[in-house]
Amino acid sequence: MAAIVDSPLGAEDQRRLDVLYDGIRHDAQTFIGYPCNPLFDYSPLFRFLSYPVNNVGDPFVVGNYHLNTHDFEREVLEELRRLTRAAADSFWGYVTNGGTEGNMYGIFLGRELFPEGLVYYSEDTHYSVSKILRCLHVRNIMIKSLPDGRIDLDDLRETIKIHRDVPPIIFANIGTTMKGAVDDLDGIRQSLDDLAIPQHYIHADAALSGMVLPFVDDPQPWDFAAGVDSIAISGHKMIGSPIPCGVALAKRSNVDRIARSVEYVGTLDTTLAGSRNGITPLFLWYAFRTVGFEGLRRRVHECFEVADYAIEQFRRIGRDAWRHRNSVTVVFARPLPPIIHKWQLAVHHEVAHIITMPHVTRAMIDELIDDIAQDSPNCAREDDP
Amino acid sequence: MKQVTIISEDRLGVVAEICEALAAARVNIESIDAETVGGSAVTKLTVDRYDDALRALAQTPFHAISEEAIVLQLEDKPGELARITRRFKDAKISMRSVRIIRRATGTSIVAISTERTEEAMELVKDVMIS
Repeated sequence: MAAIVDSPLGAEDQRRLDVLYDGIRHDAQTFIGYPCNPLFDYSPLFRFLSYPVNNVGDPFVVGNYHLNTHDFEREVLEELRRLTRAAADSFWGYVTNGGTEGNMYGIFLGRELFPEGLVYYSEDTHYSVSKILRCLHVRNIMIKSLPDGRIDLDDLRETIKIHRDVPPIIFANIGTTMKGAVDDLDGIRQSLDDLAIPQHYIHADAALSGMVLPFVDDPQPWDFAAGVDSIAISGHKMIGSPIPCGVALAKRSNVDRIARSVEYVGTLDTTLAGSRNGITPLFLWYAFRTVGFEGLRRRVHECFEVADYAIEQFRRIGRDAWRHRNSVTVVFARPLPPIIHKWQLAVHHEVAHIITMPHVTRAMIDELIDDIAQDSPNCAREDDP
Repeated sequence: MKQVTIISEDRLGVVAEICEALAAARVNIESIDAETVGGSAVTKLTVDRYDDALRALAQTPFHAISEEAIVLQLEDKPGELARITRRFKDAKISMRSVRIIRRATGTSIVAISTERTEEAMELVKDVMIS
């Protein structure tokens, strides 16, 4: 058998890896601005990394590449079918490379069903959607957002009214990137009904909130039962994964309709990617088996408690902070650059946010608040004399 | 010679920062025109190396818009965008994309791209910035 490694890694290369590892470990201590959950242990699955596992193709179709995890991927999808309240007899999906691929799949499906359709999306939509719209060469109109981040229904209705002969493809945010706002799906559907537009498509970008809303008592309408046609959810966010991943979920009836056009070009693979990650479905499956729905529910509620704690602490130093109902995104005024850098905060114009993912502790919040208070001498602390 | 329009917040130093970014990319500015629109700064440039300029500006916080897009100044109120898109609809000019670039002090700056730019510019010349 030939040697796997021709020569061991040189000392300089080894040193570079060590520096990189130490940097990542260090920066993970102040990682509170982005919605990633680093609390996971998938070490029992590491043995699968020794093989070129590849989930190429449709997870529901048997292929010739046997080194795959399609069985486990389908089980993950079944769990998500239950969480998104999709009909058992009309459901399809696959594990993606992340939220953007899931969103691209949703818009792709909408465009294939309605080639002349117009995509409507709010100005608070994630920047990657502009890129998707350009890649798919689909016509699109950005709609204004309300100050709280939700799509402005008046503006949407007025704009759709002008183009009522063109099927609308609505890109709905189920938790906007900066403010965690959930677009009013009932209001959107009501507008479509009022305008007597029977042909439409609604895609839901539920990257983070798709694994939050199933575990709250009073979720905003967001899922298949609320009338959406496809949903994208990230796997590396609330569930947690060392490799970015997500799911694209859709109604099978729609997927079957576009599959006919795919078949015409000689393949029935309806996924966007060819080769697909076969390891991340195992991570998601393992999380569902070891954390479970009850564990996720507990985790989500603990995140809300830390979010509320953060809001209290901001207010204690005289800074306003707020979050939407059922959101773990805490919004506050943009702080000074050193604080943004240290805490890896996402900022947009005048606002910044932290996202109280499961690893964010009250101690981290206290340190952040101290940093902000020290850099903002005008902040009044309630406990100041 | 092609034009680039840059939309940014209206504050001191914006033009200097734009010029520095372009100088670092060895792009010559042939003409420059800066004005305040609503609460935003609108800077219009013509440059000798258009693609390099767009690439350099993409690395800055500023929003650079190529001359293929029409930039409009609209009132920031519900239905205003619909009012403008109706003109395109009535003229049977298909829009490829409509993007809100910036909203400040009651004004929206909107970029529209279409495959019939010249005709589209005629339609919206009353609200066109560039």
